[in-house]
Amino acid sequence: MHIAPWLVFSAITVVAWGIVGLLQKLSTNLISAESSLIWLVVGFLLLEPFFYPGKTVFHYSSWNLAWALLSGVLNALGAWALFAALKSGGKASIVSPLTALYPLVVIMLVPLVLNESISRLQLVGVVCALIAVALLSS
Amino acid sequence: MESSNRLDPDSDSKQHWNAPWFWYSMICVLCWGGWALLSKLGSREVPPETMQFLFTVGTIPVGIALLIGRRGRLERSPPGIAYAVLNGILSGVGGLTLFAAYHTGGNTSLITVATALYPMITVILAISILRERFRPIQALGLAFAVAAIVIFSL
Repeated sequence: MHIAPWLVFSAITVVAWGIVGLLQKLSTNLISAESSLIWLVVGFLLLEPFFYPGKTVFHYSSWNLAWALLSGVLNALGAWALFAALKSGGKASIVSPLTALYPLVVIMLVPLVLNESISRLQLVGVVCALIAVALLSS
Repeated sequence: MESSNRLDPDSDSKQHWNAPWFWYSMICVLCWGGWALLSKLGSREVPPETMQFLFTVGTIPVGIALLIGRRGRLERSPPGIAYAVLNGILSGVGGLTLFAAYHTGGNTSLITVATALYPMITVILAISILRERFRPIQALGLAFAVAAIVIFSL
């Protein structure tokens, strides 16, 4: 059976982020959500020496470098908005599944931004996954 | 993460549109949707390691803004800090493989949805390690997740 490379990489992401979900529970039991995010950035920074690109970074187009930087800004802003939602009275049982539906934004924008489409069977898989994400996050 | 539960259940359902938490949640959804899409756009050319390096640089201003917001005051709980730092390391590893998945040229929607299935691992770990109660809704969620994974691997 041939498994697509993207699915193998995605499976590693799922396992790593799944453990992150557990660590998030453990850390926010002891420190505030904002502190957790600040120390999370420290954790990111510890990895930076391993990924330092040197001068090769200037070989890529400035647009693609901007997308990469902006993706970090948006990810952290999203985490801040999640904390703000919980702090301003949102129940975790509603806010968590609601915010876990961010792939919907991607699915809606992909046909406009990228020339990609999915088969009907894959669409069924996407619907199953979105239902799973909402149920598992609640 | 804790919620302060200041709204009662009835007002929750009636005032979604007026409640600040709802709009903060929508900001979160838009930001994370934008993050995933921009990750794909950057990954078309930039290799995963460089993407992760630049992504981290992007998170620094938000970390600093939060630090300023707290006037530099952080709780002194070594285990709490250790968990959060480890969180960052593992998030970085997961981010790296996400960028690698996008870099393969695989379908953006499928990769984004597949990687969003990570709560299934959290649920399994929370039940086996933290001894949290296994709720029927989670069992249903796991069943849908398995169905999605089987379909994606066809």
